[in-house]
Amino acid sequence: MADKAILYDSSKCTACRGCQVACKQWWGLEADKTEFWGTYENPRDLSADTWVKIRFNEISNGNGGVDWIFTRQSCMHCTDAACVRVCPTKALYYYPLGFVAYDKDLCSGCGYCVEFCPFDVPRAKGNDITGIRKIDKCRFCIDRITNDLEPSCVKTCPTDALIFGDRDELVAIGKQRVQELKATYPDAYLYGEKELGGLHVMYVLTQSPEVHGLPVDPQVPATAIAWQDVIQPLGYAAIGLVVAGLGLNYLVARANANKEAEVKAKVKAKE
Amino acid sequence: MERVQKYTKPARVFHWIHSGAFLLLVITGLFLFIPALGFLAVDSWSRVIHRVAAVIFVLAPLIEILANRKTSWETIKSVFKWGADDLEWAKAMPRYYFFCDESSMPPQEEMNTGQKLWFFLLLIFSPIFVITGILMWFFKYSLPSAVFQWSVFVHDVAFIVIFAMFLVHIYLGVIHPLMRKHGGSFSSMVDGTVTADYAKSHHGKWYQKVTKS
Repeated sequence: MADKAILYDSSKCTACRGCQVACKQWWGLEADKTEFWGTYENPRDLSADTWVKIRFNEISNGNGGVDWIFTRQSCMHCTDAACVRVCPTKALYYYPLGFVAYDKDLCSGCGYCVEFCPFDVPRAKGNDITGIRKIDKCRFCIDRITNDLEPSCVKTCPTDALIFGDRDELVAIGKQRVQELKATYPDAYLYGEKELGGLHVMYVLTQSPEVHGLPVDPQVPATAIAWQDVIQPLGYAAIGLVVAGLGLNYLVARANANKEAEVKAKVKAKE
Repeated sequence: MERVQKYTKPARVFHWIHSGAFLLLVITGLFLFIPALGFLAVDSWSRVIHRVAAVIFVLAPLIEILANRKTSWETIKSVFKWGADDLEWAKAMPRYYFFCDESSMPPQEEMNTGQKLWFFLLLIFSPIFVITGILMWFFKYSLPSAVFQWSVFVHDVAFIVIFAMFLVHIYLGVIHPLMRKHGGSFSSMVDGTVTADYAKSHHGKWYQKVTKS
């Protein structure tokens, strides 16, 4: 079955933030307490109860004016997801339609996903002293899309800045849109076409990624690979070798100890 | 058969408390290290136990050192003294441990070279566990992600080294035929004593010093 994806077009986004509300409405998430901190961007950060938000950036547009840059901030649903690689309970896993699914019941609260995500997306809620907590992030509206509905944020978007469909089609649509935009925005870029094996939430950007606050060429952290793909197998090998070595030593040593005891017994018998 | 006191009661109590905490740390840590065991970490309780055991693991040696400052300092100093004697042990090791040839091993101190090595590794790696553990426990969201990423990695490497040595420690403590001869070594951690024969053959240098006084 073809991978599904979401395409976010930053040039069409009006930052109405209906997506923030629709997501909370569908999943029954609490509101985060907010306070005005100088921009319309609120809440200030993702949280265990805020899975999507819009970032507001103002940049000088070189003509003496200001461009107001809106950027969606949420799980990018990577093809090669660091969070899936490090999750010890498989609470985070790849769904056959390509996105990163999450089973909260399996979450152990370890927080590895929080620290290894290249986009800093998952958030924890709980007690940091006892360590009892659960993580949360965008779930790609799995219960909606498996029932022929669009994700909640996509459905509510009034300008179709958010659209949902087969990933291949959205890549084509995104590329074409970037071409159109290049006349006015020479740095326009389709983010997520190839990054991390391809993201299932792609962004049409008017500026280069770093202006939008996105990492350029994001990677799964090297430590995640060193940990999961190198040290862990090496660890098994090392311990296995030790156990085998000790086992071998036991067999040899016992045989020699018995031999010695036999010899001693024979000597004693002779006396 | 005459018996010799090797470990005092406080030393034994400390050993069992510390190793009990260590086992809890190993088991609960393995739930996050081995993917097949991950389901045992769901609902976080194993991680609570890991934290409680970690506190004991740190406090026990601190209390032990503070209560026995002089002997603790002597012991720790001795662990960092390495010399010709240790080379002799290393040369005799294959014959001794594989062929059970007791005559090949020169007389050892209270801790033989292998035991010194175990203690040495613990002194180096325990602080590594504790520091990376503290970073992961208390500074999880307040330091850059890279710090945490490295902490997990280093914590894992330390575990592999120490766990491997731990298996050797158990094996040589209670399983190896030579360590079960002459009444065995395990009693040293149960009632604190070993037979004089055991002391003579396994820790000859120490036995001479102790019986002289």
